[in-house]
Amino acid sequence: MTAAPPALLHRVGDLALSWLDARREMFRLTDEDLATGRGIVERLKPVGELAINMRVLAREGVAGSRQHDCSVRLLDHAWRELLDGGNLLAELQRQEPLSPVPLEVYASLHELGHRHPGLENAIDLARSTRSWRALEMMPSRRLGVLNAERKLGLVPSGDMAEALAATWLGRMPEPWTVQLHIAYDITHTVFHLTDWGAAPDRLPPEIADYLALWLPAWMADWAELQHWDLLGELLVVDACLPRPTLDAGMWELYAAAQSELGAMPVQGPMPEGSPETVFDQVHHPTLVAAFASAMATSRALSADVAA
Amino acid sequence: MLAEQAQENSSLSTVVADVANGVALALDGEGGSYALSALLAQDDAVALAAVRVLGADVLAPYALGAPPGGGPDEQVVRKALAAYPPGADASEVSVWSYRGLVEASRAFLPAGGDWPDTPQAGAAWLQTDPWPRLTHRASQLAALALPGLAPALAAGLAARTEDLARGFVRAVRRRDWLQAAGAGRWLARVPDVPQSLGLDAGLVYVRRMSGGDPRVALHAAAARRFHLRGPR
Repeated sequence: MTAAPPALLHRVGDLALSWLDARREMFRLTDEDLATGRGIVERLKPVGELAINMRVLAREGVAGSRQHDCSVRLLDHAWRELLDGGNLLAELQRQEPLSPVPLEVYASLHELGHRHPGLENAIDLARSTRSWRALEMMPSRRLGVLNAERKLGLVPSGDMAEALAATWLGRMPEPWTVQLHIAYDITHTVFHLTDWGAAPDRLPPEIADYLALWLPAWMADWAELQHWDLLGELLVVDACLPRPTLDAGMWELYAAAQSELGAMPVQGPMPEGSPETVFDQVHHPTLVAAFASAMATSRALSADVAA
Repeated sequence: MLAEQAQENSSLSTVVADVANGVALALDGEGGSYALSALLAQDDAVALAAVRVLGADVLAPYALGAPPGGGPDEQVVRKALAAYPPGADASEVSVWSYRGLVEASRAFLPAGGDWPDTPQAGAAWLQTDPWPRLTHRASQLAALALPGLAPALAAGLAARTEDLARGFVRAVRRRDWLQAAGAGRWLARVPDVPQSLGLDAGLVYVRRMSGGDPRVALHAAAARRFHLRGPR
């Protein structure tokens, strides 16, 4: 396996970020979203992902100044326009006091310096109950909540190792059983465990070995299926490993799937339709592309790429 | 002409399936005593082609230590070798497969003596193939996983256990049960197959999911009988 050249890795993210920046007004909450709690949750998830992505770009310090400006504009737009300076999250917490969603979205924004004391009080109130620790959720999401608490400087409401042990990846089952939803459980477990790549050393060695062994098989398969959204997340996982492959073959396929303007389709070719429709369909894989690029470029510039 | 060809192809796959089924039953310890010639209604071109397709596996039950095959088996194998020798431009897989049948004939058929020479088969791919292609070829040559055959091939593949294991995962994901079963059969031979692969469960899964494909069943049965892996 040959590692992809840093210029290729970088270009994917540069294009993706430009595309997102030019369309930042399309990250929006519709009236319907605001009227129904569920709509808000669905719309807030990409906002959280956006914030996390931008934080990674800033942290990795691999983006050029133009990219940094893009990421700051996107982040400010998310905080000011979409979240109304955090008021929207506080309102959501008031409507649903035990919801972990505001915490999950706020943690990254907080880390980047945005503050909403009222929201923090509401999160504290939820955390003071036994109910908070008893909330039922997917094990990989539990890891995300614990990580969000840690990022806010709070004592995590559960044990990270126990939460990991409850995930699919934590049990290291037969790799040939992985299907689409299992693959996303794996990627999210790695994202939350490593704090979105900030702390790759939080991957226990046996899990890092397991991923190094089987990730190439999963990547090859979803590359053949042209599932760019998942391939992008798997490329992020690769970049989180102690010795990433940054496999040139995979990155070339991935880069070739990107539109000239920088958008990444979910699967197969770019969809057609109105700009809004296209944006709604491809903003997630395009965010992933920016994220994967930042992570991989950073790792390529360090010396620990697998042979 | 096309219809004729299609008919020939379909009857070839039928005969291949019948013979594979007979071999799998014999390896599973069912169906009484084994004789290749008894599985072939006649030794026409299609039957000989089927022998060539399955290669060394047509003699697999004799590798269990049962009495070696008799004269009729020997005749049909000789005819198959004569009818379908690898040409000058044959693929490496075809040469290896032919070689496997010659080696198995020497080992498991009584006559000895004048079997064709074993042709030199290219082996560089064992080192150079990327893992998906390596797995594809290895799986096509799974009949050579019989004990004692093609030691160089076995050693070359044993040096790439992790790559074959990845190929097994990819093949299952692609629902290519035959490729998965062939790769799994090679993996069943080696002691250092990654524990997290779950090879035993994998072989059971592949055999079930194949919906009774006799060639898949043959590989799974061989993995169990010769290497104690997979379906119990």
